[in-house]
Amino acid sequence: MRLIVERFPETARDLWTDEDTVEVQIARGSVVETLRTLRDDSQFGFFMLADAAAVDYGVGNQFEVVYHLYSDKHPAWLRVRVPVERANPRTPSVTGLWTGAMFHEREMYDMMGIVFEGNRDLRRIYMSPDYRSFPQRKDFLLPDDAADSSAAGVNPLERPETWDLTTFSRELTSSAATYPPLDTQVDVPAEAYPHGQESADKSRPA
Amino acid sequence: MTAVDPETRIPDPIDVDAAEEARLRAAAGLGPPAPVPGSEYAGFELIGVPDRPPQTEREREMYTLEEGEMLLNMGPQHPSTHGVMRLVVKLRGEVVTDLDPVLGYLHRGIEKLCENATYTTVLTYVDPMDYLASMHNEHAPAIAFEKLFGIQAPPRAEYIRALVVELNRVFSHGLMIGFLALDMGGLTPILYSFINRDDVVELLASISGQRMLFNFFRVGGVNWDVNDEFLSRLGTWHGTVLKSIGDNEKLITENEIFKGRTQGMGILSADQAISYGVTGPNLRASGVPFDVRKAHPYSIYDELEFDVVIQERGDVYARYLQRIAEIKQSLHLIDQIMDKMPHGPVQAQVPGIIRPKPGRAYGAVESPRGLYSVYAISDGGPTPYRFRMRDPSFISLQVMPLLMPGHLIADTMAIMASLDPVMGGVDK
Amino acid sequence: MDFSLLLGLGRFVLATTLLLLLTVPTAFVVIQLELKVIALMQLRLGPNRVGPRGLFQSTIHGFKVLAKEDTVPDQADRATFTLAPWMVYMAAAMSMLVIPFAPGFVAADFNIGVVYFFAILGLSVVGLLVAGWSSYNKYSLLGGLRSAAQMVSYEIPLTLSVVGVVILTGSLSFTQIVNHQLAHGWNVWWQLLGFPIFFIASTAEINRAPFDLVEADSEIVAGPFTEYSGMRFGFFFFAEYVALFVMSAILVTLFFGGYLAPWPFPAQLGGFIGTLYGLIWFFAKTYFFIFVAIWMRTTLPRIRVDQLMGVAWKVLLPLSLINLFGTAIAVVAFKL
Repeated sequence: MRLIVERFPETARDLWTDEDTVEVQIARGSVVETLRTLRDDSQFGFFMLADAAAVDYGVGNQFEVVYHLYSDKHPAWLRVRVPVERANPRTPSVTGLWTGAMFHEREMYDMMGIVFEGNRDLRRIYMSPDYRSFPQRKDFLLPDDAADSSAAGVNPLERPETWDLTTFSRELTSSAATYPPLDTQVDVPAEAYPHGQESADKSRPA
Repeated sequence: MTAVDPETRIPDPIDVDAAEEARLRAAAGLGPPAPVPGSEYAGFELIGVPDRPPQTEREREMYTLEEGEMLLNMGPQHPSTHGVMRLVVKLRGEVVTDLDPVLGYLHRGIEKLCENATYTTVLTYVDPMDYLASMHNEHAPAIAFEKLFGIQAPPRAEYIRALVVELNRVFSHGLMIGFLALDMGGLTPILYSFINRDDVVELLASISGQRMLFNFFRVGGVNWDVNDEFLSRLGTWHGTVLKSIGDNEKLITENEIFKGRTQGMGILSADQAISYGVTGPNLRASGVPFDVRKAHPYSIYDELEFDVVIQERGDVYARYLQRIAEIKQSLHLIDQIMDKMPHGPVQAQVPGIIRPKPGRAYGAVESPRGLYSVYAISDGGPTPYRFRMRDPSFISLQVMPLLMPGHLIADTMAIMASLDPVMGGVDK
Repeated sequence: MDFSLLLGLGRFVLATTLLLLLTVPTAFVVIQLELKVIALMQLRLGPNRVGPRGLFQSTIHGFKVLAKEDTVPDQADRATFTLAPWMVYMAAAMSMLVIPFAPGFVAADFNIGVVYFFAILGLSVVGLLVAGWSSYNKYSLLGGLRSAAQMVSYEIPLTLSVVGVVILTGSLSFTQIVNHQLAHGWNVWWQLLGFPIFFIASTAEINRAPFDLVEADSEIVAGPFTEYSGMRFGFFFFAEYVALFVMSAILVTLFFGGYLAPWPFPAQLGGFIGTLYGLIWFFAKTYFFIFVAIWMRTTLPRIRVDQLMGVAWKVLLPLSLINLFGTAIAVVAFKL
């Protein structure tokens, strides 16, 4: 197995083999050609893309796109790892080779923010289309921990640099704040509420 | 044929209302509306409401309507999508011309959640992904974690695993038959399928304690051994299962109406199936004999003999027949497992707080929907560093824009039911 | 004023009122039958809590639709939205006028009863179309158009198969048809091709399974009824089951001897006993065919709309024409 993968000396690095998986790292630029050779060449015959995943190795490190391939001719899964830099996460798309990579790549874009060049339909698949954060990054934290997060959150409350505490307190404490009438307000006579209640809301004492 | 200008963005309903309101107010001579206090976060005016991103090529192609076409939203709430899925269907009259599935309504962030859970807890988190095949959901991570830990489950545990996994496959395929008939208007087979499922689920409850999200697998084995109740229920069930599946089948297989609606429908060729990443019964019904249990044997499948059944045509009827054939293969496998099960412990000796060595592992199983695999990376800590699940239903859904155009709306449901997606798995 | 005219008019009004009032309990009984029969065929119990053995379930369903909120979509055409259920219900109810329940027990014995019946039944097509269009909903529109296509296509084989019976009898009146069957035996033996055509076409005409793609709830939610709730939906709901009853009744009248017993004696019971005897046989036969329709619904999946049209135009229409010509030739040749 190892012997065969050594046909890519200039692009493949870091071979590793396990009991049933052979792993190889290749550079970002040669993804499409390498995978195409792996798929089409009769010695390899990796006709099936079993999985395409993205891994985030932490804030200072890179991303990685991992493809798992299957071939009838070889007993082991082949894992192809492609490092992608974090600052500008772009990598070529393999949708030209396997149409079924589309959803994989959309999910990787949605969850990690990796942009696949050449993908015709790179939009979010799980999150809503206007979501601006990438949930599976290691530095994505929930709004509760927003102060620690360096990935952008959608809600300004997740972005501490947008907090203007002076504005808040001024509005809340000022007695000159006027509240324009809401046109959805229903006029309920005071007699309708017993015991000096102010609204129909019984969830807290009046 | 007139085409809508592709540079026009679809207005978001919120935008339309705001624009409309602004226009009306301007016409009436009023200024912009007063801001309602409490509705503005400090700083909101600094960044504004996030825009929709620009349309991709495919979106433009899909959402550009020509003369006589309309978009119909088979929305997340629909009596017949297999869970919450939204299908935006472009129709010309009653013929589907294009289709766009919108997913994510059931997204629970399980992958990220598992990054904060110990290895044993992960096995409980993955159950509700493909909730009709919970045992398979647990089997794949168990395999991956055992590779990371370098431990091997004892043979009896492997046999029990294979047994419950095949039981799960039987009732999952049985349910697909029921759903397929239900989506076509036959009200009865789904109930027979559920009766069949009830028997199996009671059986599995007697061994795992749960009827649906069985928390049964552990790293290094299974949680409990078989007990008397399980064996007696298994015996009873085994005597009646072929007849009950046969009853269900009789209502459907030779039914002229059913055959007329499923034969020649949604034909998926072998090349297309491989290219789209479809696996499992859908792939085998298109003629490709790929079964993970034979291709890359895991657990004890290399000691058991079974056939990889394929069908030739790849239409909806073939996918239906494929699942019936697989039920029979599973029953054959269950027979062999019960014959061959060795004695022994059911859980390997694993220390209490388990920490594997750093590494990467990939485990794949054959779930009733296809190739279900887990890619786990460990960094030496008590929780996995990256836990990635590849769900077969998710990938199988990609063929819908390929198969459905050209058919009628009624067929969209038939084709989707034949692909047998489970939204829990699709949306993780 | 002619006294007999007044009497006749009074009798007509009384009979019509009674019939209109009867439609609702009929619908209740048919719905209850359907719930229980489908349940038992699906190996489950069905409703068994409301009332003794669940017998009041459908009655409570009826009162429930009265209690529901009556919503009208914002952009729906309100007048036609309200009108549509009336049209469908009236079509089903008015067609009951000509059914002979027992000797002498028919609300209006027109001598063109057959023509009247099929004409009025056709009005339900208009009602469904109007419902589909006025709901301002794409699903409803699809359902309404499908229903129009289906019902109009199947009316032709339906009426043609009845013409065979009319040729045999020599009259368009339902009572004459029943009397003819008294003398010559049930029409089903004479019309071995006409009966299946009528059976299939009538199932399609009332949108029952396997032809229920109008309300195919796995594809287009509820078709033209999607936006209806409360009593408006109640009208559609009851109209469907009244139409089922009516169609079974007409099937029985045309082909199975109406209120006649299968054996020739007792020949002609007069008065009250005769009426009761006829009623029992009439309802027994009608409910048997309602049971068959429910059985079909439980068992068979739905036919797709293009296959349905194919069956109507390419199979049933030629067969019914063959039936028609065959009957005509036989009547002339053998002086039947």
